[in-house]
Amino acid sequence: MNVAQTPKPAISWPALLVGLGLTLPLLGILLSGLFHDPHDLGNPLEDETAPRFTLPRLDGQGTLSLEQLRGKPTIINFWATWCQSCPLEHPVLEQAAREFGDQVQFVGIAYEDKSERLSAWLQRANRGRPSAYPTLIDVGGKVAVAYGVYGVPETYFVDAQGTVKHKKTGPFLPSADPTADGRLELRRILGEML
Amino acid sequence: MNSALGQGLILLSLATATVGCILGFAAGRSGSAAGLRWTRWLAGTYATSLILANLVMEYALLTHDFTVKYVDMVGSTSSPTYITIVSLWSSLEGSILFWGMILAIYIWGFLATTRQGHERMTPYTLATVLAVGTFFSFLIAGPADPFSAVQPRPDSMHTGPNPLLQNHWLMIIHPPALYLGYVGMTIPFGMGVSALLRGELGASWMALTRSWMLVPFGFLTAGVVLGGWWAYEVLGWGGYWAWDPVENASFLPWLTAAAFLHAAMLEERRGLLKAWTVVLLLVTFALTILGTFMTRSGVFNSVHSFTQSAIGPTFLVFLAVILVISVLLVGLRMHLLSDEGSLGSPLSRDAAFIVNNLLFAGFTFVVLVGTVFPLLAEAVRDIKLSVGAPFFNQLSVPIGLTIVFLMGVGPALPWGRTSGKEAASLLWVPLTTSLILGALALALGMRQLWPVVTLIVSLFAALVALRDMVTPVSALMRRRGLPPLAAASLAFRRGRRRYGGQIVHIGVALVVVSIAVSSSYQVIEEGMVPKGQSLTIADYELRFEESRSFREPHRDVLEAQFTVLQNGREVGSLGPRLNRYSGQMNPIGTPAVLSTARQDLYLSLMSVAKDGQAAGLRAFINPMVSWLWVGATVMVLGVLIAAWPRRRQKPATKAAA
Repeated sequence: MNVAQTPKPAISWPALLVGLGLTLPLLGILLSGLFHDPHDLGNPLEDETAPRFTLPRLDGQGTLSLEQLRGKPTIINFWATWCQSCPLEHPVLEQAAREFGDQVQFVGIAYEDKSERLSAWLQRANRGRPSAYPTLIDVGGKVAVAYGVYGVPETYFVDAQGTVKHKKTGPFLPSADPTADGRLELRRILGEML
Repeated sequence: MNSALGQGLILLSLATATVGCILGFAAGRSGSAAGLRWTRWLAGTYATSLILANLVMEYALLTHDFTVKYVDMVGSTSSPTYITIVSLWSSLEGSILFWGMILAIYIWGFLATTRQGHERMTPYTLATVLAVGTFFSFLIAGPADPFSAVQPRPDSMHTGPNPLLQNHWLMIIHPPALYLGYVGMTIPFGMGVSALLRGELGASWMALTRSWMLVPFGFLTAGVVLGGWWAYEVLGWGGYWAWDPVENASFLPWLTAAAFLHAAMLEERRGLLKAWTVVLLLVTFALTILGTFMTRSGVFNSVHSFTQSAIGPTFLVFLAVILVISVLLVGLRMHLLSDEGSLGSPLSRDAAFIVNNLLFAGFTFVVLVGTVFPLLAEAVRDIKLSVGAPFFNQLSVPIGLTIVFLMGVGPALPWGRTSGKEAASLLWVPLTTSLILGALALALGMRQLWPVVTLIVSLFAALVALRDMVTPVSALMRRRGLPPLAAASLAFRRGRRRYGGQIVHIGVALVVVSIAVSSSYQVIEEGMVPKGQSLTIADYELRFEESRSFREPHRDVLEAQFTVLQNGREVGSLGPRLNRYSGQMNPIGTPAVLSTARQDLYLSLMSVAKDGQAAGLRAFINPMVSWLWVGATVMVLGVLIAAWPRRRQKPATKAAA
């Protein structure tokens, strides 16, 4: 009874509008999802004052506090010897610290680690050369908690006034692909801060 | 060798799917018999090549041919053989290959059942199914290629599939069941597109489509519940459903498929909801693709998101194409989709079905919005947020309970028109019985509102279902003087769809009550238990005896032994575990469960002190959880009964309005 021999090419605009009205926004939302990493946890500290700290230096030369570093942008890298990607990231940071050392201050903060292991690890990673920037020991992990460190490595960029400007979750890894190269990314962030 | 063979088969499948798709559409337009023959042949070849490709991959996995990319990714010589076999669907590339195999099996089934008749429906259906097949073969050939030849990584990096998948036997059957559910929706989708393209939207195609929908619906039901069961047995947080985006993704097509199965009955019997039914069919398929997008794109943070993967955008384009074509097709055929009958009275099965369909749609909308809302929030306001279980629970409890209530009202009332008096006479017995039993539960100490309401409506629905099954039997006994068994058997054979449906309803009632009770009356205790001492939870005492660690081929196991005493009497021992897999930082627990009909005692090991002198334990009492698995089994059984092919194909009868 309903077999249309020659179906009329009439289109129902209400059906079309309702259908597209429901599906297009959904597609838009899903599309926007492709540009966000669900594992990116955001940075509640952004544009807030960086939590203060005073921590012992790994090299035994007393302590270092964030106040002492005011006046220069500070890059705080949380890392550990048990972290898998830290050995790959370390040369990137060393290189940047040597290059930008007079404009910015790099600081490493060791997370959940022991000083003997840290010294040996750095010795190996730097091939005997002295480190380009100091490493501090976060006893009890209090500073990491204050910064909201989720995993290592994680890097915080604090401007000369002591405000957190940026956070990088995960390592800066060298890569031949310019869109994925951590070295370029680090340079870009440093460029924005200077 | 395996690489080349696999890639060759995939290219063959891509070629046959593409050509078959084009030919199928052409044959549909021209009605050419030769065109249809060729389309069928190409579809068969497509299916065969995909099945062979899967066999090649299994062979490569079993022989540890690490020069094949996928084997290099998930293979391990230390995994037990059964883990190696199921590695096929343990990671992105393999699971899409496996998807192809399931589509192939369905295509074989479709070809076998349409050898005679259905000449008008088949070409467009096959063309649509092969269009979907083209997309998946394209994925396998390109963006998610599992077969490319690689330089094997060092053997120490062959750590086997994702540990969460190695942890429990349920992982062997949960993904295939879910895939059989997801992929199977392709065939009814193809039939829907075919009907829309031809403009033949009568009741005849609906009966066939409905039975093709029942099969994947049964698998999807099993897959969703097995997923919950797996979470319960493996993840160790004491629950089975967390409104995780991917759980939702599997639930969404289930809801629309359930709605479709009911709407299709209304169309078949009364000529109502024609446009709506077709839309549900298209939406169900689109939701399976959305679900796959959610699982595989890395857009959602979930236990299922393997990694950020490049196939996300490809899937989104596919989803967009499906949605736009569906909308256009419905828009173009809307004039053929006007209802023939008219709704009888608000007191009729028709009305109950319509309201229940609206509720299914509302439920789908709520779950969909809750699932994608975090993406919207991030896109618009750049904030991270998650829509927690409370949002879903607050909305799904009232909607779900109303659906269950209507699940009782609908079958109790006749089609068409009912007088108030007649309706009351049909409803009052199950209604008062369930109210009395609810009052009894209240008297026995059930104090929370929602569980009691759930119990009442579920009992009501179950009683109606039982009555609906018993009535024809007693009528046969009375009228024909048959003995009870013979009458039951005859009634069953005559009304298998009705019996299947009502058995599903009883299963739903069991599941719903179990969910309400287990989530409302859960008891949790936790603590560090020194050796020889006990943790008390309700009337159980859990005595920590000892811990032991041992090595299994693919993992290191740390197990804590607890003796379980109930009211001072020993009733068993439980050994919750922590498993450490190579290449994995954090241990993954295996909870230990003591199941009884009344409740589950569920132990999750949190830690063991270094000297083994104390164990950190989290213990749960989850009442009635086993009834959830029983209820789901009943549901699947009911679907099976309803879907079982009839021996003689009778033309669908249409009740006069």
